Amino acid sequence: MELIKVEDLNFTYPGGNTAALAEINISINSGEFVTVCGQSGCGKTTLLRLLKPALSPVGELCGGIYFGGKSLADIDARGQAADIGFVMQNPETQIVCDKVWHELAFGAENLGLPNSEIRARVAEMAAFFGIEEWFRSKTCDLSGGQKQLLNLASVMVMQPSVLILDEPTSQLDPIAAREFLETLKRLNLELGTTIIISEHRLEEVVPLSDRIVVLDEGRIICNGCPQEVVRQLTDIGHIMAKALPVPMRVFSALERSGEVPLTVRDGRLWMERFVQSNPIFPERIPKVQPLRKGDVAVTVKDAWFRYGRELPDILRGLNLEVFKGEIFALMGGNGAGKSTVLSLISGVNTPYSGKILINGVPLKKIPKLYDGVLGVLPQSPECLFVKNTVRLDLEDMIQGKDGEKEIEDISRLCRIQGLLDRHPSDLSGGERQRAALAKVLLKKPERLLLDEPTKGMDSNFKDEFAEILRSLTADGVTILLVSHDIEFCAKYADRCALMFDGEIISVARPREFFAGKSFYTTSANRMARSQVPAAVLAEDIILACGGKEKKL
Amino acid sequence: MVGFRNSHPLVCFIYFVFVLGFSMLVMNPISLGISLMCGFLYSLMLGGKASVRKNLIFVIPLMFFTAVLNPLFNHRGVTILWYFPGGNPLTAESIIFGAVAAVMLASVIFWFSCFNRIFTSDKLMYLFGKVSPALSLILSMTLRFVPRFSGQIKKIITAQRCIGKDQRCGKVTERIKNGGAVLSAMTSWALEGSVITADSMKARGYGLSGRTAFSPFRFTARDFKFLLVIVLLGTYTALGATLGELRFWYFPSFGGKAPTGFSISVYAAYFILCGLPLIIDLWEVRRWNSLRSKI
Repeated sequence: MELIKVEDLNFTYPGGNTAALAEINISINSGEFVTVCGQSGCGKTTLLRLLKPALSPVGELCGGIYFGGKSLADIDARGQAADIGFVMQNPETQIVCDKVWHELAFGAENLGLPNSEIRARVAEMAAFFGIEEWFRSKTCDLSGGQKQLLNLASVMVMQPSVLILDEPTSQLDPIAAREFLETLKRLNLELGTTIIISEHRLEEVVPLSDRIVVLDEGRIICNGCPQEVVRQLTDIGHIMAKALPVPMRVFSALERSGEVPLTVRDGRLWMERFVQSNPIFPERIPKVQPLRKGDVAVTVKDAWFRYGRELPDILRGLNLEVFKGEIFALMGGNGAGKSTVLSLISGVNTPYSGKILINGVPLKKIPKLYDGVLGVLPQSPECLFVKNTVRLDLEDMIQGKDGEKEIEDISRLCRIQGLLDRHPSDLSGGERQRAALAKVLLKKPERLLLDEPTKGMDSNFKDEFAEILRSLTADGVTILLVSHDIEFCAKYADRCALMFDGEIISVARPREFFAGKSFYTTSANRMARSQVPAAVLAEDIILACGGKEKKL
Repeated sequence: MVGFRNSHPLVCFIYFVFVLGFSMLVMNPISLGISLMCGFLYSLMLGGKASVRKNLIFVIPLMFFTAVLNPLFNHRGVTILWYFPGGNPLTAESIIFGAVAAVMLASVIFWFSCFNRIFTSDKLMYLFGKVSPALSLILSMTLRFVPRFSGQIKKIITAQRCIGKDQRCGKVTERIKNGGAVLSAMTSWALEGSVITADSMKARGYGLSGRTAFSPFRFTARDFKFLLVIVLLGTYTALGATLGELRFWYFPSFGGKAPTGFSISVYAAYFILCGLPLIIDLWEVRRWNSLRSKI
């Protein structure tokens, strides 16, 4: 049954020259799982918000939006509050109350339900989401993943028939994101809730979706089941094809008939069939180049650290050497101590045993540490901005006359020339990250520490960001980054290290590093391990199978 | 273990109104002694040795000061023990009054420490919600905002420090400038966050008419029994106090109403009232142990 219908929708923001959305026509059936994707700024958020009257942006709208056969504008406030659930990006700011139980009850309180009814609904949802254990906790004590689950649960308490989610996992680590999306799928399958989600983690969400809608500059360019959309995207050679999960990319580069593999499992089966009838050339995969070792830029020697006298050790005799001019990626699960390592190297925390050396000199003996020796890009880049425009923020870092020139150079390097007069809070995740990088770079640091730099970035932004990092290392800057993003590290790092239980378990060049792992590795490696063990990236598999990916 | 502390907030609240009211209003050494003893034991039970030690560090000097300062400045009373060099008399009555006042302060402090342990924010909020649902929501949002604010300010300070903008060292003008920058960043963070929070509230129907206030507390038969006992004992004590059975005077000479059957029963009722949480908790511990021994 048709639940939502959008007819000839055009939308322009006040003062906007071009339409944010143009000629949108979609019909969504009840019980469908629909993924809306596209590059940053393609109009995803605008479209999703227009489906929820309480959050609709102000602007010029023509065309019709229908919900359950009625025009959306005719549905009363109470009906749309309960029936259309909306979950936003930031887990933290969406939470209203201080206690988990109160947050769960918030929506039902607004609807004016009696206490006994609220109790029953809250209990039901707490059980469904597995919240019982932290039901009486304070919301500020929850992890990011728990917070976002709570946001979802507290919307579900109102028993909506459709759930709209705007990039709900962009601020979560991969494990929490997977858990969140699995819960969504369970809601969809077990309660029949219609789900409309915008996502850039296509790898996880495509196999769950019934339908994918791709937007580009406010227009729908593809709309169909995952199989069709993969074909359409590759046919028109759209840039979003690069963001597709590895099995699909490999498939569309090598073979165009049969069923598109959606998951790694399907990809493995497809690989098995493919090698039976086609020759493969594993030798075409680029060989591992030995690392040209420069001077040691940062050394951590046998560092032990804990946050409080009574608390457990976070780092247990950690040793680390980063060479000048390399991109060193530190990976590991949540709570492995990755960010703690950065805080020690940046001098925010001090190990209770062990040494931190910069070019062989102890950290404490360096007089102006933050003036050209070290630059730190924190996990939340918005913490760096204190002024009303990006330009003012950058000028704040410079003394002297040739400031203009320096700002110009840095903004060209970080590709933010067009953003200089914007307010820092108005930038998208990827733009903000680059602007923050520019601010840090104005101090001309020889070593750059980055904490989760790719969080919330879509795949094109990641590639651009990596190019900026490359141009920095070419100038001799050393980069140490902490990340959950396996694919990014595999593609761009010079060396990768895995942290576990306060120590570094293994360090190697990415190709050796990932080819030797069975679980903590890229999906390309998991997909093609049996046939091409050395393949780490989608490009590797394609090369080894004798194909070539379309240049986009 | 349920215990008195987990009774319905209303029951706990009425209990504390009675006990704190009597402790503050009735200047009777016997009733204050009862109150201090029970308050001390109950706070020991709730918070353990560590918290009582923390309270004592504060309470003992305070008691000492009250007991010593009173005779220094209060010279009423007929039993003169000594003359100060200034010529003012030191009287036995003022010493006794000081000591009783000290006991009163101490007992109020112990009962308040129990109150603090029992009345977590959600219970307070429930009581406020009875008065006005909007008030309890504001309280809840404030309680949520405070830890977030302090967390964010730490993050910003660290981030600023790592780009060489430290408000802790450098020239005074620099420091003021950097500190101001942190505050301005905090303001825009708070404003930006509140826009999203407001969206999230609106999306979940905040502002519709007829909002209710949910509470996870249920008024059970057990709560009813406790409330009944508390109200009976409390009114009986209050009756005795208003009829003057607990009267005690300090000036010009100290003395109290001669004990009668009624006054003794009032003391007994007050004693049971003050000891009620202890009795309930200990009884439940015993019952639990005996149940466990049967398993």
